[in-house]
Amino acid sequence: MTMCDDVLDAVELIASGELTPDEQTAAHLTTCASCASALEAARRLEALLRQRPVAAPPPQFTSRTMARIRRARWRNEQVIDWVFNVVLVAVAVMVAAGLWTIASRSGLTSVNSEALDLLATATKTIVRRVSPSLPLYALATALLVSALGIWWWAERDTAI
Amino acid sequence: MEPDHERELVERCRRGEVGAFEELVDQYKNLVFAMIMRTLPDRSNAEDVAQDVFLRIHRGLPYFRGEARLSTWIYRIVVNVCTQDRGRGTPPLSLDDADARVSTPAAVDRHAENLELRDRLEKAIAQLPAQYRLLIAAHYLRGVQYEELAEAMGLPLGTVKTQLHRAKRQLRVLLETDLK
Repeated sequence: MTMCDDVLDAVELIASGELTPDEQTAAHLTTCASCASALEAARRLEALLRQRPVAAPPPQFTSRTMARIRRARWRNEQVIDWVFNVVLVAVAVMVAAGLWTIASRSGLTSVNSEALDLLATATKTIVRRVSPSLPLYALATALLVSALGIWWWAERDTAI
Repeated sequence: MEPDHERELVERCRRGEVGAFEELVDQYKNLVFAMIMRTLPDRSNAEDVAQDVFLRIHRGLPYFRGEARLSTWIYRIVVNVCTQDRGRGTPPLSLDDADARVSTPAAVDRHAENLELRDRLEKAIAQLPAQYRLLIAAHYLRGVQYEELAEAMGLPLGTVKTQLHRAKRQLRVLLETDLK
């Protein structure tokens, strides 16, 4: 390795001030135009890198970031809710199936069919009596659904 | 930010205190944004990438054990985001493309010459590997220490210094004619 190779290897360190050239290197730099030019270039590069502009984030950066975090969190909560509901329904179906199996094995299903007939008759009677007020109930249900819909929509953006 | 203040802020975020994470974003947004702007060859989506960083910080805070400083952990996330798929496949920019090599008349002032040189420096930096770009970006930001960079990148301190040295040498070679 020649002296030039050694010096060229160190010019970045000398330019950044991390290395002070020893006497031999300093003497070489005064006599070798190529190495002196490389050091000058490295110094200019160092100065340019130090002067590189620092970009500032846009003024609304924090609020936009927080809004994005809220949206991401809301989506996660929706997924968790959905999974929870599916599990709940699955458990309810399994419990119902289990009860039905127990009932059929113990002979309770015949009693159940009579009970179902009784329930159907009672439902028909209730429907006959309530039918004049059905439009009112439908309106109330629609209002409730709308209110729940609005609440769901509003919570989507404000939840954190 | 002082280490004690960092720990306190992390605790407040973990407790879900209102405004704590917003404070964290405010504290680190300048540094994160500057690093990303200096590292990504395509700066048009820098805000999206910076938001990704804070989204990851938000998700990761419950698992942050506090073994490293918060700032080091944040640098690590920036490093991961910047060195992942973004920036890959960026066509290498030619330093000699028509826009950059507009021949300047002899009477052109020093200011215009400097602007052109800075533009060519940015193009040269864009040609470096992502890791080198990041090192160049972070090292020249005030307050970022060699040690923190090394820890964030999972590299020995000596390797970080060597890579930075190589990155600068590559830049000097790329800009050889301009720097003379």
